[in-house]
Amino acid sequence: MSEMYGWIGRLLRVDLGTGEISTEETSKYVPEYIGGKGIATRIAWNELMPDVGPFDPENPLMFMTGPFTGTLVPSSGRGSVCGISPRIYPTPWFTYGTMGGDWAAELKYAGFDGAIIKGNAEKSVYLWIHNGKAEIIKADDMAGFDTFVTQQYLKNKHGDQAQVVCIGPAGENRVLWSTIQHRLSNSIGDAGFGAVMGAKKLKAIAIRGNGGVKIAQPDRFIESCIEIADMVKGGPTTHPYHDPIGPETQQCSHGCPLGCGILHKNIPAEVIVGSGTRNIMSHCEDYAFIYGEATTNYPTEDIKDIYKGDMYTRETKAFGERLGTELQALCEGLGLTSAFPINYYPWFWVCIENGVTEIEGFKLEPEKPQFWFDFMRKVAYREDGIGNLFAEDMMRAVDQLDLPAVVKKAAHFQFPMWGQPSHRQGRSYESQPEPLWINTMLHWVIDSRDPMACHHQSSFIAGWFPLHHEGKCGTPDANMEKLYATYKKAFGTSEGIEPGLHTLDAKTMLAVWQDNRAQIKDSLLVCDWLFPAILHAFPTRKEYLEAEDYYGDLDAEAKMLAPLTGMDIDTAYIDRAGERIRNLDRALHIRNYDRSRVVDSTGEWYYEYPEKSDGTKLDSDMFNSILESYYDKRGWDKTTGCPTREKLEELGLKEVADHLERIGKL
Amino acid sequence: MPMDTSLNVAKSGKVIHDPDLCRGCRICELACSAYHEGICSSHLSRIHIVPNDLALEFPANICHQCQYPSCYYACPKKDKSMCIDEETGARYINEDECMRCGKCARACPFTPSLIWVREEDEKKIYYTCDLCRGRKSGPICVERCPRSALTYVPRGKVK
Repeated sequence: MSEMYGWIGRLLRVDLGTGEISTEETSKYVPEYIGGKGIATRIAWNELMPDVGPFDPENPLMFMTGPFTGTLVPSSGRGSVCGISPRIYPTPWFTYGTMGGDWAAELKYAGFDGAIIKGNAEKSVYLWIHNGKAEIIKADDMAGFDTFVTQQYLKNKHGDQAQVVCIGPAGENRVLWSTIQHRLSNSIGDAGFGAVMGAKKLKAIAIRGNGGVKIAQPDRFIESCIEIADMVKGGPTTHPYHDPIGPETQQCSHGCPLGCGILHKNIPAEVIVGSGTRNIMSHCEDYAFIYGEATTNYPTEDIKDIYKGDMYTRETKAFGERLGTELQALCEGLGLTSAFPINYYPWFWVCIENGVTEIEGFKLEPEKPQFWFDFMRKVAYREDGIGNLFAEDMMRAVDQLDLPAVVKKAAHFQFPMWGQPSHRQGRSYESQPEPLWINTMLHWVIDSRDPMACHHQSSFIAGWFPLHHEGKCGTPDANMEKLYATYKKAFGTSEGIEPGLHTLDAKTMLAVWQDNRAQIKDSLLVCDWLFPAILHAFPTRKEYLEAEDYYGDLDAEAKMLAPLTGMDIDTAYIDRAGERIRNLDRALHIRNYDRSRVVDSTGEWYYEYPEKSDGTKLDSDMFNSILESYYDKRGWDKTTGCPTREKLEELGLKEVADHLERIGKL
Repeated sequence: MPMDTSLNVAKSGKVIHDPDLCRGCRICELACSAYHEGICSSHLSRIHIVPNDLALEFPANICHQCQYPSCYYACPKKDKSMCIDEETGARYINEDECMRCGKCARACPFTPSLIWVREEDEKKIYYTCDLCRGRKSGPICVERCPRSALTYVPRGKVK
């Protein structure tokens, strides 16, 4: 093995069915696929056959890191998990999830750039990865442990500095929206990979390592990291100027200088609803149980075919810090994704308002904490009736139920595409006035899940967006002219963020660029609250107000990756790698799942409903012209949505083009 | 043989860690190991954050630069191997001269010993905080801590 910088140089291969453990050189995949999701996508193209299902032994569950993981790069603690997700509706397909914490850095310190796990064990096991070795160890004694107990149990066994990712009872029972949990509140949530671990009978992975990530040019690397950390410190998406970071929070990611609004609660030992845990952290949608979230807040007139009465004012019930936090702790302990009330809560109310007051004998009382306590436990343990039904998640559950059409439609409204909960589309709990939702729409229709490209990348615009919706999602101090100046600096034009669809090409171009960079972000890996760094953070509000523009540094990734790896990597290389990963992912979805323009258009109906804050919406013609403009910018065929041979060859993917042609899909 | 404690050792500055401000990002470890070893690694860092993730407690282990440094007294090659930095007073190991006997690490009064050891090519290498001697802007861990959980107290101000 030749010496590598940035990457460790080895991938771990484990077959839980045969017990075989081997390694593979990372250099097979890099620098072309960077790391993380990029390598995983290449492995999936090479090895994942079209007929493989999420619970089959051939489904590779890939725990991946990237060259930045475990280094001084800000937010470098992130890791990615890829494989076929059972949660995706209607077709479970290959997708991805990412999370922070310490496990990914520890995996590199233990000697591996990733762990690719195939096979299903006969009996429950866990994987112990330490200093270049891996062992499959019996885990019968951990059956049914919640995610916190599992972590503590393995720390007791392997040392308190061992890092653990694990599943709770929900994952063991293959609940489709179960998480892979790490620390108190880091998890792979929406992707539903907890159920895949459950199918593999892999209760946990414990990791400990004494190694490190070698740097090719330490002085240059440190200098770049310092420059960029100082630029992003404070958080471009959260606060344009530095806010004092609350002392109550833990950084969600190893190596992160931010403390972006994480709330840490210490719950007294006497538990209220029985979660049995004392500490928990909440972040973003986790707040649903605690403070409530404006789930719909939709003008009734616009959507009266679904919501009636005072539905538009419904928020998730705020149970307060003590009870709400404990409900969240129970949720994370069971290994369920704690964002779920945002989409389930309004739906239960639609049920009630349409005369559905119970499901399978289970009374719907979403205003009561006991209801959620019972619901989560029934789901996690797949109890007969509502538990087993909703263990399959909303879309599959309502398919099996005899419900009024409006109730079914409301479910679809909350889970509009790929069976994933609505998020950043301007039609659920967050407003995204035009052109923001045009941007996020393109990510939704192209991606394989709730897209990471709009999980805060669009907030680079949104968080700073004072346009015609001040007070809705803008930062009050932000200045539109300065924001336009920023985009002119970055892209030569600000049309991409200007209102109105007459500048459509600029908008689809921006979406393509964002999506490519999202692939890079999930391959390096870094946090989407920081990168790509379109915007700058300022040390003080005064400096922010006096600045001519807010431009950050779009070369930031290359400035750190080049001295880290010692390779001649610039921003153009990075952009191209992002495009390569997206196109390969597209080819994989075309080959394995018949992904096409028709599939991309499954969410078209959703955008015929108006955005809730500004009332903008699309008719079918407009939706299609936006999609075509996007395909055009991508170099994809407008009729099929398939990458052209020309595009694939340009990205060094000739053999992929040949394969697609051979099977009649190019 | 009793240690020679009659040696008059100059005072040292020190890095102080406040566990109430620390939130476990470990940037100090990454900066330290990158600066000293050209490798990012918790293990190779001279400051070790040892969090209890589930209780959200963040204690750290870092050399206290003792006023009466038993590591220095214990070193058979003091002032060549275990040295006192003229500028900061740091008790540091000169790796070129170190005989790898480990007496300094064993003499450290703290648990765990704040002189760390790693194996490289079957050789034991001892390393400890040197307050980034020679670095113009002082200890890099202090400079990079986003929470101000680390403070550098120069020798003149150590109480």
